[in-house]
Amino acid sequence: MAAKYVGKRIKRTEDPRLIKGLAHYVDDVRLPDTLHVAFVRSIYAHARITSIDVTEALKAPGVVAVYTGKDIATTVGPVPCAAALPDLKIPDYRVLATGKALFVGHPIAAVVATDRYLARDAADLISVDYEELPVAVDVEASAKGGPVIHEQFGSNIAYTLTSGEGDIEAALKSADHIVTQRMVHQRLAPVAMEGRGVLARYFPGEEELTLWSSTQIPHLMRTQVALMIGLPENKLRVITPEVGGGFGSKLNVYAEEALLAWISIQLGKPVKWIESRRENMQATIHGRAQVGTVEVGCKNDGTITGLRYNVVADLGAYHQLLTPAIPTLTGLMLSGAYRIPAIQMNVTGVFTNKMSTDAYRGAGRPEATYVVERAMDIVAAELKIDPVEVRRKNFPAKTEFPFHTATGLDYDSGDYEAALDKALNLSGYAKLRAEQAKARAAGKLIGIGMSSYVEICALGPSQAMPAGGWESATVRIEPTGTVTVLTGASPHGQGQETSFAQIAADELGVDLNAVTVIHGDTAIVQYGIGTFGSRATAVGGTAVLIAIQKLKEKAAKIAAHVLRCEASSLAFEGGRYSRPSAAAASAVSEPDVAVGEAPAGALPEPDTEGRSTLTIQEIALIAHIAKELPPDTEPGLSATYFFEPKNFTFPFGTHICVVEIDKETGETKFLRYVAVDDCGKVINPLLVDGQIHGGIVQAIGQALYEEVVYDEQGQLVTGELMDYALPKASQMPWFELDRTETPSPVNPLGVKGVGEAGTIGATPAVVNAIVDALSPYGVKHLDMPARPEAVWKLITG
Amino acid sequence: MKIEGTQELHAPRDRVYSALTNPGILQRCIPGCEALEKIGENLFAAMLKAGVGAIKGTFKGEVRLEDMRPPEHYRIVVEGKGGVGFAKGSADFDLEENDGATLIKYSGELQIGGTIAGVGQRMIQGAAKMMASRFFAALEAEVQRTTAIGEADLV
Amino acid sequence: MISAPFDYVRANTLDEALALLAQNEDAKILAGGHSLIPAMKLRLAMPPLLVDIGRIKDLSYIREDHGQIQIGAMTTHYQIESSDLLKKICPLLPECAGHIGDVQVRNKGTIGGSVAHSDPSGDWPAAIIALNAELVAVSKNGERLVKADDFFVDLMTTALEAGEILREIRINKSNDRTGQAYAKMHHPASGFAVVGVAANLTLDRNGGCEKASIGITGVSSKAYRALAVESALTGSALDEQKIANAAAHAADGVDINGDLFASEDYRRHLAQVFTKRAIAAATERAG
Repeated sequence: MAAKYVGKRIKRTEDPRLIKGLAHYVDDVRLPDTLHVAFVRSIYAHARITSIDVTEALKAPGVVAVYTGKDIATTVGPVPCAAALPDLKIPDYRVLATGKALFVGHPIAAVVATDRYLARDAADLISVDYEELPVAVDVEASAKGGPVIHEQFGSNIAYTLTSGEGDIEAALKSADHIVTQRMVHQRLAPVAMEGRGVLARYFPGEEELTLWSSTQIPHLMRTQVALMIGLPENKLRVITPEVGGGFGSKLNVYAEEALLAWISIQLGKPVKWIESRRENMQATIHGRAQVGTVEVGCKNDGTITGLRYNVVADLGAYHQLLTPAIPTLTGLMLSGAYRIPAIQMNVTGVFTNKMSTDAYRGAGRPEATYVVERAMDIVAAELKIDPVEVRRKNFPAKTEFPFHTATGLDYDSGDYEAALDKALNLSGYAKLRAEQAKARAAGKLIGIGMSSYVEICALGPSQAMPAGGWESATVRIEPTGTVTVLTGASPHGQGQETSFAQIAADELGVDLNAVTVIHGDTAIVQYGIGTFGSRATAVGGTAVLIAIQKLKEKAAKIAAHVLRCEASSLAFEGGRYSRPSAAAASAVSEPDVAVGEAPAGALPEPDTEGRSTLTIQEIALIAHIAKELPPDTEPGLSATYFFEPKNFTFPFGTHICVVEIDKETGETKFLRYVAVDDCGKVINPLLVDGQIHGGIVQAIGQALYEEVVYDEQGQLVTGELMDYALPKASQMPWFELDRTETPSPVNPLGVKGVGEAGTIGATPAVVNAIVDALSPYGVKHLDMPARPEAVWKLITG
Repeated sequence: MKIEGTQELHAPRDRVYSALTNPGILQRCIPGCEALEKIGENLFAAMLKAGVGAIKGTFKGEVRLEDMRPPEHYRIVVEGKGGVGFAKGSADFDLEENDGATLIKYSGELQIGGTIAGVGQRMIQGAAKMMASRFFAALEAEVQRTTAIGEADLV
Repeated sequence: MISAPFDYVRANTLDEALALLAQNEDAKILAGGHSLIPAMKLRLAMPPLLVDIGRIKDLSYIREDHGQIQIGAMTTHYQIESSDLLKKICPLLPECAGHIGDVQVRNKGTIGGSVAHSDPSGDWPAAIIALNAELVAVSKNGERLVKADDFFVDLMTTALEAGEILREIRINKSNDRTGQAYAKMHHPASGFAVVGVAANLTLDRNGGCEKASIGITGVSSKAYRALAVESALTGSALDEQKIANAAAHAADGVDINGDLFASEDYRRHLAQVFTKRAIAAATERAG
């Protein structure tokens, strides 16, 4: 593959339409006669619904229908959970509350009206009587007892699970020191810029339904929603228009999606619901929400002997698609970037009267990385050695890959010391420490924190996934020579319309502009899995590459037939097949059939007489006209490939953060932020930088600002962005980025994935820096977010 | 949320106690209370238009008086629900004689839910304090008035 | 996020707006809308009528008249932030404006709307108090002047009476020995003041503090004048120790509110810290 585009900083082809406001999100799809849905949601965290009076609402102007739990109890299937764990308790999660409301925001009634204003007005006319019930809010208390949310299970424990390899007791016993630390991974809200939105349109004659949804998984949604509403899957078309961010929150099948589909069938009209920010905070999944205690055994020289993590995971009231599985990803990544002979995680998944937790950028891995990277610093402090040295001591050497961990994984490739050294150099670590000592002597609170992370990406193989660990691609060259790439991935900000086009353009030797990447329409794109877990390029991009290779086998056959030579003797260069004798000289001598040059209304018949070379685009035309094909060759020029990787990929890197704490107020200010990331081969450095930037920002959000807070009655008190503190550009440091590039052997592109790396790597670096700054006060740990008041209290004692 | 405080009223304790348990007076003292109707023994149906500045909500609910030990103690339990959410709370009132005046010690819990809980976080404490201070200002005026005109004219 | 139904009138004159207010006691004035509209979208505020005064001529101005600075109520935060005149003669106002919300908010929000709304964490009230401003309230019955100290009554409650509109803010020009500063901790989510302190100091010819005027917002249900700080500052030269001692009184006698982000104790402490910082900066500028 000649790399004309791959590896280049190419601007995203998506951006002009986004910047100009010309993109189409769900709410931009306007269909005639559309009805609008407004929800009545529970204002209690736990309550029996004793009556719902919809009389007034039904009389309100524009109201077409009102639905409550009793209408859907037997007609719409439960919200699905795809996680499979031994003895997992799965409550029946109906699309509208039936009997009890289990969290603030739980949908109770849906009002359908002729416009969204009337629907919202009518929702206020519905009167719901509740009998309040005692609430389960605190996750640790709810694991032990207290009010039971799902009576049929007898307790709030959804599952318990132990994972890991090695004899943890012996490993801890053999240690010279054991450090123990309780850590809270606070509950976070993903807050995609575009909230969720659904438009459902049923065609009564055709008995077909089209569902527009702001989702990361159009195909999985089609399968699940079809099952929920009892429609044959091939009668349901899911279209994902522009999606304004997901961060995992749209890797789900929500009550609203199935309900809107069902309502559209009932009423025979299009129905739409666009989530408000308040609903987004209440009823779109949250992330993190683990409370755990880590024990790490180490030798006097810093060698880690074993790690145990006992954790309770706050699942919320119900399982969404992957809710209970998220902590298992934490268990997988507890070896971090280190050789740890014995690892054990004991997790208890606990129901609480809150919104479900599920995958949020990193999904279980940030928790693991935070545990391990905080623990490395605590070990360093305990042993009074530099945190760099503790890390270096326990890295596997680059020659040890594939490296087997005591969590049961085989890390594909890595050179952890190289990334660490590069970050140390870039930051001027030794000098930073000297400056820190000077600043401390002058009474300033300067902290240096680092994090050497490993994450798990490119989710596949299928054995390790709830539903298919592969991704699909179809590549087609149209008669006019344009290239269409259909991908089962579902980018929603990642920029794969650009990066997949780069892969295709290079592999086909065509202009980047000739390639269009289509995704997110189940009627157009072959089945796919979707975009999450930093998998799209490593798995979906590889599918594109291999589909093109298949396509080229056929193109070569056709070329050989037309050029009257053996396919194996053809040379392919710059998008052109050449006969051996012509290969060197002729490439420039014959005109391309360039895109857009065909006369309007007619396909140009290629004149192949006497030619010694053919472009792949000319071959596409020949393949479609189908008069000059070799015997037994199908017309057309397309190929499809479903790629399933044999292993995960494991990106890694080192982040170094320098902060200054305001002694008087406890505020944290960034002085430096250095990140060296290794995501394998890089398709587009600009996109990679963007992913790292956004990832670090969200990590800093967790470290310093964000927390979803429910009060002791289960009321969501951070219900708006007035109180829920998203990170802002003005609060961010300048990011100094660099890379190492260790190709993954798992896929032929050598790519690993980068969508979550920043979020995974940065959080502990920031907290480590703050703890380091506060170490003169004997501070060993503080929980996130590091609000100024919490820091001030540590300073003032 | 906890609410507690002390308030001195310039009237004898039994006068204050009877004012504090008198529905007519309570209605006039509770800020925004538009109706307070007796529906049972020490149980009243209430209609409240409460708010500060532009923020206003209408609440319907019940007021219950409990644990009545004249003239030194009672508990008031309030529950209301409206478009902006719900509020419920209870407060213990302890009345002490203080040189002809009455010292009221109150201590209670206020719980709010719905929209006001999710967006009013930074205002709630201030709003509760403001309601309390308006309540006691009105109560002071009431006990002064009833002291002046005598018990018979209550209500 | 859809408000309840309401009527909307764009008033062309102040008289028209006042007449509408007089007819409808639950009507609200729309003066930028950056607090009112969000409250309406949450249905926490459901006024039946919005009277938009945004197009009324001559409510947006910054001028100097016989030693008095006059600012029209509909002057945007941005207009104040970027006013060369104010930067010269009353720098506290542009400095304070620069701390409000973000660029979009400052482009739309107005000083009159903000002051009349009297958010307990709003920035303007601290400056209005520190500058000893006078506020011109107008109703059908004519105009009256309200002193800053009398204007902020309680949580989102001002001295404005039903039917009154805030028309203008007046500030007496200071002399060249005056130093002003605004020090603030921004709430990371809302941008409102967790604590905001406006200091307005005038030194005497010997460098002693002749007059000190300190307004504090974010701490209590309303912005207030820190009287104890002012009296501790007045009458002598301001050194670091003197300033710190005075600032320690920042929340004396104040009923402090706590919330999720800052407890009462922490807010008291922040009030002291930011008072110290505001005074120190103002002192330096006065010198």
